[in-house]
Amino acid sequence: MTTSILDVDRVTKRFSGHTAVDALSLSVPPGVIYGLLGPNGAGKSTTIRMIMNIYVPDSGTVRLFGTAGTGQDHSARIGYLPEERGLYAKMRVLDVLLFLAEMKGMDRRAAGPKAVEWLARLGLADWRLRKVNELSKGMQQKVQFISTILHEPDLLVMDEPFSGLDPVNSQVLKDTVLDLRRRGKTILLSTHIMEQAEKICDSVCIIARGRKLVDGTLAEVKRTHGGRHVLIAFDGASGDAQRVFADRRLVAKHDGSAQYAELELAPGADAQEILQALVSSGARLSRFEIAEPSLHKIFIDLVGPEAATAAAQPETEVARA
Amino acid sequence: MRKVWAVIRREFVERVRQKWFWVMALLGPVFFAGLFFLPILLARGGAVRHIVVVDGTTSDFGTRVVEGLATGRSFRASRIATGSAVVDSLTGEVGAKRLDGFLILTDSVFETGQAEYRASNVSSIQAMEELERTLSRLVVKARLERDGVNAAVVDRAQIRIRLDTKKISRGRTTGESAGQSFFLAYIMALLLFLTIFAYGANVMSSVLEEKTTRIVEVLVSSLKPFQLLLGKVLGVGAVSIFQFLIWGVSARLLLTQRQALVSRMAGEVSSGPGLQLPAIPGTTIAVFLAFFLGGFLLYSSMFAAVGAMSSNEQEARQAQQPVMYTLMISYLSIFGLTNDPNSTLSTTLSFIPFTSPIAMTVRWTAGSLPASDLAVSLAILVAAIIGVTWIASRIYRVGILMTGKRPSIRELVRWVRAG
Repeated sequence: MTTSILDVDRVTKRFSGHTAVDALSLSVPPGVIYGLLGPNGAGKSTTIRMIMNIYVPDSGTVRLFGTAGTGQDHSARIGYLPEERGLYAKMRVLDVLLFLAEMKGMDRRAAGPKAVEWLARLGLADWRLRKVNELSKGMQQKVQFISTILHEPDLLVMDEPFSGLDPVNSQVLKDTVLDLRRRGKTILLSTHIMEQAEKICDSVCIIARGRKLVDGTLAEVKRTHGGRHVLIAFDGASGDAQRVFADRRLVAKHDGSAQYAELELAPGADAQEILQALVSSGARLSRFEIAEPSLHKIFIDLVGPEAATAAAQPETEVARA
Repeated sequence: MRKVWAVIRREFVERVRQKWFWVMALLGPVFFAGLFFLPILLARGGAVRHIVVVDGTTSDFGTRVVEGLATGRSFRASRIATGSAVVDSLTGEVGAKRLDGFLILTDSVFETGQAEYRASNVSSIQAMEELERTLSRLVVKARLERDGVNAAVVDRAQIRIRLDTKKISRGRTTGESAGQSFFLAYIMALLLFLTIFAYGANVMSSVLEEKTTRIVEVLVSSLKPFQLLLGKVLGVGAVSIFQFLIWGVSARLLLTQRQALVSRMAGEVSSGPGLQLPAIPGTTIAVFLAFFLGGFLLYSSMFAAVGAMSSNEQEARQAQQPVMYTLMISYLSIFGLTNDPNSTLSTTLSFIPFTSPIAMTVRWTAGSLPASDLAVSLAILVAAIIGVTWIASRIYRVGILMTGKRPSIRELVRWVRAG
């Protein structure tokens, strides 16, 4: 029935009084980059930790790869980058990578050449025998990123992967993630930076105060929250455009002149249908623009400006495993 | 299981690669070599003291003392008669380091036994004993002669007692003296205390590192917390065994080469009774290792729990104190344990699992002990390891993922209870 890589079904997690995640459901299809978005303290990390079976939900279930079983059972197929980064400071870079690959069930000998290859790819080839604490913070982050993908997981879970990265490394990470998606991997990442999410996510889920506000593909989310306006300019012939505008299944409202029109879409209507109808009606268009709000604007509209900038709650979380 | 193996391997390799491991590995034998050879050096060391005997007696007693001291090892003396400014000028000589000291004798030495020794150094117990012994022998002789006893008879009558102690261990007389027996017991207790503490603290800092760097999140999403704890304890345990192996081999070398080394160092001085090393039987080594492992397993899981419930080094140092004091109880009782290995205190301590690793080993070394006692003590220890590890692993499991303030006792109890 389900083809999802990950199904989160009404999970709830409470920490000494306050509810961090409240009956949250989401579903991640294979082969996408899925963004878990929300302001600080919204419950993103708690959700991710429940997905990873680090926290056990008070209620609700998490299903990975369409089967029951915890994150530990599936660990070979999952790569996880925690929010707070850290590696063994006194270990050599290569040894850390091999050890963490072993933790993911990989054979030490098989992991060796792969690790060297990845280090070279991210410009760390000369550092593989150095100790971790001799590396810069950015380099350490790259090493940790390698450790999450070395075992070629089908699902990559990354908690705030871009935080603390400079623009160059941020781009390297983004390219690598996009490349992984091209190779059919699924990526779940959390972020509170909407511009970033807008650029790389196929689907998103926006949460605040532990609850889901909206989810779906990026296009769906934009369509259902704004994106209901279409701007049209004609290149001479307007054809039978007025008949298209009068179709209440497509257009809720319209106004404009002979050369210019602004439409508001009917509920459930698809702007592409209007475009098709206009073209087949004989109209020549010089402009057809869906006036899309940015994800950032949708986010602010949904969570409210004060929540969007709210500081993270002090963490006094106690896991009840 | 492969993952546990990887954890063991990491703990072992990373630790053995560290400098401090090799520092300990080398310092250990140096330390024990010091314990063996220091007494030899000290016995030889005490340089000869040149003193003056200020003779205020009305007999030739001063001359006799000078002669008496000449037969000993520590003093070479000359005699001068007492005078008005003698003491002052001799004090000046000592101050100028031309003289080590002087002995003032008057007739009262025969009545009250009183004499006076003034010197720049009066802290060598061995030398002072020699001086006292010589004086007392000569005073006794002089007093007896005064009362008309024949001098030859007095000489014949005087005899110095040498008490030769031999331990009966498990029904057999051994060559071990009381001093050696105590020495061995003490060394073993010290070793147990230091190694259990050092390697337990190792487990703790390893737990703490993973917690503070948050690597533990990645690890716990890959293997069960108990597997992680198991790997850690076994890995560090393997390092400790490796350490003992190094110490064992170097101690063996030291012992086999000992005679050669001693004669080279000490020259003509033959090894006195205090220098004899007790032969350490294989069973004692086995008992030592068994109780070390037991103690390590028991304490390292407690240290792991302490590491898991702390969020930084300072907190951990505070939280480890109860564990450390528990370990110290038996170490501090070592004098009681060796004095009377079969007292109620000794017996009790050797059956309580938290003190038995040290207490039982000391009792075993210090005196004869039925094997059944040993078996019972070990059985209790094993049971305690299982129980304590069960509790500790529950605290560990919750603690490693917790951030924020240290939990109260009530919270800890809740963690343990939570399935």
